[in-house]
Amino acid sequence: MGIESDRLQFSWVSSAEATKFVKVVTEVTKAIQALGPNKNLVKTIPKVA
Amino acid sequence: MKIVQINKENWADGLKQLCKTYRLFGPVKEDDFHNFKELEQGQLPDLSCLNTRLSPKSIIYPQTEVMFEYSLDENQEDHHILKEVNNDYPSQAIIGMRPCDAKAFALVRLNFDTPDYKDPYWLKAYEATTLVGQACESPCSSCFCTTAGCGPYHEEELDLLLIDSGDQYRAKVITDKGEAFLEAAGWTRTLDEKTALKEIEAQKRAAEDKICATVNTDKLREIETNALYNAPFWEEVSFSCINCGTCTYVCPTCWCFDIQDENYGNSGCRMRNWDSCMYPLFTAHGSGHNPRDTKLHRVRQRFMHKLKYYVDKYDTGIQCVGCGRCVRLCPVNIDIRRVCELMNSQAAKKN
Amino acid sequence: MLSYIDKIKEISTGLLKEGRVEMIIGFRKGTVPMMNEPHFAKSPAEVENFVWDSNCGINLCNYLTNRREKIGILAKGCDSRNIVTHIIENKIKRDQLVIIGVPCKGMLDKRKISAMFEAEIGEVIEDETNITVKGDGFEKTLNKKEVLQQNCSVCIHRNPVIHDELVGDPVEEQTDVDRYTDVREIEALPPEEKTKYFEKLLQPCIRCYACRNACPLCYCPTCFTDESRPQWVAKGQDPTDVSTFHFLRAYHCAGRCTDCGACERSCPVGINMRVFTKKLEKDCLELFDWEAGLDPNVRPPLDTYRPSDPDEFIK
Repeated sequence: MGIESDRLQFSWVSSAEATKFVKVVTEVTKAIQALGPNKNLVKTIPKVA
Repeated sequence: MKIVQINKENWADGLKQLCKTYRLFGPVKEDDFHNFKELEQGQLPDLSCLNTRLSPKSIIYPQTEVMFEYSLDENQEDHHILKEVNNDYPSQAIIGMRPCDAKAFALVRLNFDTPDYKDPYWLKAYEATTLVGQACESPCSSCFCTTAGCGPYHEEELDLLLIDSGDQYRAKVITDKGEAFLEAAGWTRTLDEKTALKEIEAQKRAAEDKICATVNTDKLREIETNALYNAPFWEEVSFSCINCGTCTYVCPTCWCFDIQDENYGNSGCRMRNWDSCMYPLFTAHGSGHNPRDTKLHRVRQRFMHKLKYYVDKYDTGIQCVGCGRCVRLCPVNIDIRRVCELMNSQAAKKN
Repeated sequence: MLSYIDKIKEISTGLLKEGRVEMIIGFRKGTVPMMNEPHFAKSPAEVENFVWDSNCGINLCNYLTNRREKIGILAKGCDSRNIVTHIIENKIKRDQLVIIGVPCKGMLDKRKISAMFEAEIGEVIEDETNITVKGDGFEKTLNKKEVLQQNCSVCIHRNPVIHDELVGDPVEEQTDVDRYTDVREIEALPPEEKTKYFEKLLQPCIRCYACRNACPLCYCPTCFTDESRPQWVAKGQDPTDVSTFHFLRAYHCAGRCTDCGACERSCPVGINMRVFTKKLEKDCLELFDWEAGLDPNVRPPLDTYRPSDPDEFIK
């Protein structure tokens, strides 16, 4: 759809896997921050002629 | 009746001059069809197009129009104040519209410009616009303007009518706005009125003769509304309808809209969008009741509105100019000409 | 194929006379070139209005949803798969229907043909292999195969998968077509290019919803676009909203779309929105080995959980 594949990530994390949770969140946050703010399919006020 | 000669070799220069004082719109080819677009510097309108896919109504009446904005952020000075969006319409001109689309503005104006209420958005745009029409030399087979109160050389609502005469356009001045347009372009050479008018008349008759599609509307006024409303043919007419909004959106005489607020956290705007009576939710009430909740109701309503209610209310003929767009673009080929015949001849059966 | 109409009329008249159905849904001749109008017949006299030719691309299954009567319906390969999907999704009961199957070699692409000529087309005459397009000052013969709707040219289910009657011998299925060339091309683009491609594709959209309404799968009483509390997608012409509508609608058709082409056919501004549904169709095929509407007794994969469902995307 034109959204970079790293922006959307899936992971199974059980509530007993706290370390994994921290790892996943840190990595995904880093990956998305590297991509920068998403400009695709974002709307703040209608852009109409 | 002034007739001005525009040599085609002077056409581009004239448009260049006009660009200085007008925003120009004209038919532009995109992919396989034409649409009205704002012309850029040096861009010429494509006057060879038979008719545009969408009508020029969106130039005066955009599909989505922001009416006003507001901010709820109390740090802003103008918070909680509705601000009109700057919709100043500078002078604009639509070049190359067909007489059917122009007449449509007259029909729509009856709705937006009434003694009791005037739609400020529509009127502001309308008054800033000069309508420069182009007469039809080769009407399409789906055009039925001559029996819809219009015609290939019809002048209603136009400020200027351009008639293609080979290496020149003959521009028939209809209003002061049209005159001003010609002056701004530097097209001032007039032709001998009598001869020019005679030739135009001959061309006009030739074009009108080419129209092969007709509708009969003579009985629509006198027939009793309920006789049409309860007519047996609606089931068969409405069966194939898929209730999309194609006919209403391409129709130059359709005017319905829906107003809605869109909020984005602390700020927002109020906008209006085209709406279609074909959509099931068009008449959904806050209570949950929907008086037109079946397809038959909605299809019947549309044709009754166009061919009966409007006729009764305004007594100026049907709310259709015969442009043929709905006929060509309906995904299931529901044909207003056929329905009009059914309605008009229902009248004959009644008594 | 052109002789099908006699068999169609014969079967339809028989069904109505025997009282096996209360109505038959078919096509009657349109009023403009290359169009036929969906039409129902409730009596043998009305059956006479039926036509069948290469302009019958509209998916008649669209008219079945929530009907209570016994209906005879003309169904091409793609339409019949939609009927199967409707049966699985409980929108119509199998025993309400008498499916009159019509093997199909493809329907004409009206838009493609019109674009080939500058002037207006007056008439299109058809024979088994060719069409002759006539207009003011021109006449041209074209091979039907070259001007078929795109979905027809890559169709691999030309024969009805379910039917009670068949109006002709089954036609040969196409086996050497690549259904997803265009999808692969788009998949190969980098994200910014994809965004630009979709923006350009959807720019002419006027939110008329012809695509949604022509689609037999789109039968929700209140479509997500019409919801207002909460409002999932706004109703205006903002490009983000237009894109959202198309993307989401495609997602709702995932695993259900039979590529009948009704959406593209009905679009008044000629948008090729089938790229979205085809992408999802390709994904379903690759991830679940699934093609929609082939067997009324099998639940779709997006409806059921199997431990073997692919999950490599979950880290």
